[in-house]
Amino acid sequence: MEQMKKTRFILIPRLTLVIASILLAACSTNVTVTGDYPSALTRSMPYHVGLVLDDSFTNYTYESGEEQDVNMALGKSQTKLFNQIFSDMFSRSSQLQTASNAPAQNIDLIVVPHVEEVQLAMPFETRLNVFEVWLKYNLQVFNREGEPIADWLMSAYGKTQTRFLKSEEEALDQATTAALRDAGVKLIIGFKRVPEIRDWLEAHPESTPLAQRGSQ
Amino acid sequence: MTNTRLLRFYRPACLALLALLSLTACSTSTIIDEYRVTDASLELGNGEQVVIMGRRHAGEYETEPDFINCIGNKLATKGKLKVMPEQVFLDSFYPWFEPRVAPLKLRRMGRMLEEPLIAERIKALGIRYMIWVNGNTETTEKKGTFSCAIAPGGGGCFGFASWDKASSYEAIIWDLKQLDEKGRVNVETKGSSYLLAVGAPIPFIAQVQGDACDGIGNRLKGFFLKGAPETLPPISTNRALSNQRALSNKRASRESDD
Repeated sequence: MEQMKKTRFILIPRLTLVIASILLAACSTNVTVTGDYPSALTRSMPYHVGLVLDDSFTNYTYESGEEQDVNMALGKSQTKLFNQIFSDMFSRSSQLQTASNAPAQNIDLIVVPHVEEVQLAMPFETRLNVFEVWLKYNLQVFNREGEPIADWLMSAYGKTQTRFLKSEEEALDQATTAALRDAGVKLIIGFKRVPEIRDWLEAHPESTPLAQRGSQ
Repeated sequence: MTNTRLLRFYRPACLALLALLSLTACSTSTIIDEYRVTDASLELGNGEQVVIMGRRHAGEYETEPDFINCIGNKLATKGKLKVMPEQVFLDSFYPWFEPRVAPLKLRRMGRMLEEPLIAERIKALGIRYMIWVNGNTETTEKKGTFSCAIAPGGGGCFGFASWDKASSYEAIIWDLKQLDEKGRVNVETKGSSYLLAVGAPIPFIAQVQGDACDGIGNRLKGFFLKGAPETLPPISTNRALSNQRALSNKRASRESDD
């Protein structure tokens, strides 16, 4: 009898906790962005670029606790996008954990992206039948000596219409993938147009072959 | 006894309502306007293909990818025309046809083709015609209400709801070889759907977007294959395809947007 009472005493709070956590999880939206990004049709620039993607970028998860709990893991997907785009834009691209690794690898440009802001708009907020995602990145660009060249704030937008019987998770995944595709467009078209980067590219003409520089 | 009387009274009324609904329900009306530069069929050489693209630059709507696939399937029926899937095209030319940078006018498309990378890939893939489709389908009006309940003994629904849908699309054909516009097709489709719930819900759904796809797809097919507009689906009793106006050559002098 005593034993039964003890077991009940332990089990009931545990069960309550498990049920409560299941109910809480059921009320939140958990999304892992799974998008794939195509190879870009662009002329590659003859530089070796070092892309510094630290843990805060590669494991980035957006958490919103406003009207509805939304957890969106987009770190892996954005890492895939940035690696793809920079390897298409430059003749050589290396992913680095920190900028301090750059000099050893004979790198011309160091790019350090950070997620500045993520915003979501869901149908229950906007009364529109559309899921929208805004992404804002800060791209810091340094030369091989580690001197800053540019600080570029870049924003991207993606949306998806709600489709019949489509879950919120699927819709958010699609909208975020669209926003990341848009970020790729901005990177490819906008990177060379940033005045400071354009000046640096003009000062370091493309005619300087990378191999030649490597042998110096 | 009272129940029997009620049943006697309501049964014919319900049957009459159902009969009336089945006569009027699911009706759609479609208006198609067509403009052709020439009466001759558009030529498509061996290995050349067509791509159909949806416009998605506007903030408030996007041309549905499903609708673009539907038109593509209509055009590619029996393998007479080679149609490149939209997503394959977008991925092959990334980022040049993404919503932010896609050319809205033929002049801009011409400038894009001055870029050798893009021109070479267009040539390599044999893309001769690009068809841009702009528009969407939306619910314009909702009326009525119905509710469902479930209890240990069973469940059911009761009520009546109706909604109207409207589709409006325009397709423009660009010839990438000659860099000019070959024609346009406008389609406007409207239809009403009903849901009657007396115990079990009975839906009468109007295929508004499907009819718009049939209309635009068959007209576009007519640009490439002689006699293709004759392949229009037969007009069924509950589907009125009305007021089809072919404006062939009437607006031949109309200038393109550029």
